[in-house]
Formats: sequence, C-alpha cells, structure tokens
Amino acid sequence: MRLVGVRDVSKDFANGVRALEGASLDIEAGEFLSVLGPSGCGKSTLLRLIAGLAQPTAGTIEWPSGKPDLGFVFQEPTLMPWTTALANVALPLKLAGVARSEREARAAEALGHVGLAGFEQSYPRELSGGMKMRVSIARALVTEPKLLLMDEPFAALDEITRRRLNTDLLDLWQRTRFTAVFVTHSVFESVFLSQRIAVMSARPGRVLSELAIPAAYPRTEAFGTSAEYAALCRLASAQLSQALAA
Amino acid sequence: MTARFVAPIIVGIVMLALWEAVVRVAEIPPYVLPGPVLVAKTLWTDWPTLWPALVITLEITLQALIAAVVVGVLLAVLFSLSRWIELSFFPYAIILQVTPIVAIAPLIIAWVDDVNLSLLICAWLVAFFPILSNTVLGLRSVDRNLLDLFELYGAGRWRTLIDLRLPAALPYFLGGLRISGGLALIGAVVAEFVAGSGGRESGLAYRILESGYQLKIPRMFAALVLISLAGIAIYLLLSLLSHLLLRRWHESALSAEG
Repeated sequence: MRLVGVRDVSKDFANGVRALEGASLDIEAGEFLSVLGPSGCGKSTLLRLIAGLAQPTAGTIEWPSGKPDLGFVFQEPTLMPWTTALANVALPLKLAGVARSEREARAAEALGHVGLAGFEQSYPRELSGGMKMRVSIARALVTEPKLLLMDEPFAALDEITRRRLNTDLLDLWQRTRFTAVFVTHSVFESVFLSQRIAVMSARPGRVLSELAIPAAYPRTEAFGTSAEYAALCRLASAQLSQALAA
Repeated sequence: MTARFVAPIIVGIVMLALWEAVVRVAEIPPYVLPGPVLVAKTLWTDWPTLWPALVITLEITLQALIAAVVVGVLLAVLFSLSRWIELSFFPYAIILQVTPIVAIAPLIIAWVDDVNLSLLICAWLVAFFPILSNTVLGLRSVDRNLLDLFELYGAGRWRTLIDLRLPAALPYFLGGLRISGGLALIGAVVAEFVAGSGGRESGLAYRILESGYQLKIPRMFAALVLISLAGIAIYLLLSLLSHLLLRRWHESALSAEG
C-alpha cells in the first residue's frame, strides 16, 4: 500500500536556488527506504516537504490514505537543553495535550526502547552525542507514528556509535514496523539499513534511480561483512557516481 | 581559587593603609579628605541617619528593577510576536536609552507630583533597556530545528512562547537583569541628586548632597561606601539567582571541569 506519493515536485528558495526539480518518489507503508545523494542535492528539502515543514513550488505530495502521524529526527539531536531527557521525549505528547502522568510513563517507556532506561532525569549536556541522538529518536517515536523521517541523523557521530545506532534502529523498526525514510550520503549506511534506496542527482535534485536491497532481516554484523553486502554497496556506489555525473 | 579572593583583598588593604598613612603624615584635614578609619567610625556613629536613607534608596531601586523586568519582558514578548510592533517601537526604546537620565530627570520631577514616583520613573527608565534588548535577542535566538519541531506537532504561538521561546531566552534575560540591577541603583541615585530635597524622606544621594553643604565630608564618604556596597550586593544576588536557574543546563553556569 502506498503511503506517500511525491509527484514532480520542485522547490525554489527565496534566494533563487532551485533545490529540487521534478522529483518523484513513492513510499510504501511499512518499508525502510533510504534516500541517498551527494551533499546539497536537496535530500533534506525533500524530507521537509514530506513533513509539511515547507511547501513545494510545483508538483504535489499525495497521501492516498490521509496524512498519518509522523516523527522527525534532525541532523543534530535538537534537544531542549533546559530540561531533562524525559521531558524532552515527552514534548510531542505534551503538545498533543496528553496528561502529565500518562506522557511521562510513555516517555519513560520510549527511553527504555532506545536503551536509555535510568537516564530519565539527565540533562542533555550530561549525555554523550550518541545518547543525545537516542533521546531524539525516542522523542520521534513516542507518539507511535506511522512514518519516521530521518535527516542524516548519525552523520555527526563516530563510526562505532553509528554502527550500534544503525543496528538498534533496525531493531526498533522490526519491532514496530513504522515506515522509515532515512536520508544519508553514506552508501554503506543506506545498504545496511534499507529495503530500497532512492538515489538522487546533484542540485537541482531529483530521484534518478532506485535500487532494491533484497537481503533478509535481521541484518547483523555478519551481513555487514558479507560478499552480498559488498556487491550491493558496489552497485549503489555505481548508481551514485552516475547520479553525480548526470 | 584562593588567589582569586586573596589577591584583591591584599590590594584593598594596602590601598587603605596607604590612604590612612598619607592622610596622617600630610595632616590632611578631614573636610578635605578623611582617612578610612574616620570613614568607618562615621559609618558607625551616623548609622541612625544613614540606614533609613539606604533603605529608601534600595526601595526605589528594587521597585524600579521589578517594573523594568515586567515592562521589559512584556515588551520583548510583544516584539517577538509581531515584527511590525518591533519595527515601530524599538527605535523609541533606543531613544529613551540614549538620552541621559540627568537631562530628563528634571522634567519628570516637574511633571510628576509625587517625588517617590518620579524617582521610580527615572530609575526605571535607566534600568529597563538592557532587559528589553537582551530578552528580544534571546527570544529570537531559538534553535530553528526546535521551532520546526514545535510546528510539526502543531504547537500554536502561545505554546511555542511558553515552552520554547521563553526558556531559550532565560540566559539572555538574566544577563540583562544583572546589568539592570546596577543601573537601577545608579538611576535612583542620580534622580535623587536632581530632585534634591524635594521629598519628605531622603535617600543616600540626598545625604551626600546635605553632607557636602554642611562640610561633613566623612559622612559623605560613608554614604558613598554604602552605595558601592549596595551595588556590589545587588550584583552578587543577581549572579547567584542566575547561577541557580542555569546551573543544570547552560554553558555560562558550568565549571571548567564540566
């Protein structure tokens, strides 16, 4: 079932820069889709358009079965520094008018799901970069959204933390089966995580090609070192190079 | 850490001793320059006169500071809600700020019958601008992504103000408050000087003027010492408040070891 249809979408910024031109993309309910492209190709813009944080200059974004609840994870953790991890995670519920005791219980549960049980009362500055990103993911998932949009969420993290978060993200996805749209410029990350990769051209961005990653889940360290993984990465790299040349 | 306290204290003691020595050796008469020992003695003997004066000055300072916080924050919020209001009124706030208070004080004192109220207005005029400009800056310095997040979850202007803009502006506001605390005291003292003996009750500035006329120079110094001490106390209190409110999260309140 199609969840979102992006149809010939273009986006011009006020300064005259054309970020997207004729971008089209279908997103199926429940899938894990990566959007792969070079820096500045309009991947983030596409994500913001889907989230409704910006409006397309031309083209439409269709929601065949209505726009669902969605969660958004930014490049930075984007936490409120003046309050605790628990209150940060509870924020979407607070804004939705959920009563205090209920939202705190649900926020604590969401923190537990990302492996941060016991850090409820910690302030963001007391947490490491990876832990802050986990809080950010917990906040995006606390409303149990159908669609989770992620904008290069692990780009600023070190390799080890990034790998662990990739694995944990897949665990969460398999457990609750939200639809995941993961924007990245890392070939390796996109192949490891997703069922399907949409490759974007350089600015003005559009979706040039799609690549299916048929490997079964759960994907573990073993998958990350397999010949199958290496072959798929080569394939994705080749498509990305084509996209850069286009 | 100890050097931070010990060094300035040693400098202070040496300066005071030198001052006392010069006054004694050169036999400078107290109506020209009293030594620190005499000033301290005067502070003690004239306490019954000086204490009520200090209370009056501090009352005006505190009232002016509270009024500055209320008006400054309200205006800042109004400015942050509407670009048009900000564009229309901010220049006038700046004009109020750059016009010397000594120049406006006589007008205000002439227009307002109640002397205490006119003093309050003068002190408030000096004190409110740092709070206004800092809070405006703080309300605008909100993380763009957090604003997007609030929009994504359908938060209205009011919710965004309460849960995002105001907490984000708090460190800026507190910075402004520390400046305004000192300025409120200066405003109160300057206004008292201009008002002279208009009021039935008189603050420290009036005591200084009076002592000058009567050549009670040691009392003048004692009143000066009190004003300085009051200023330091206000600064320390507001710094403590700032530290207590920010210590869990803001960089400015964290120790170097973090």
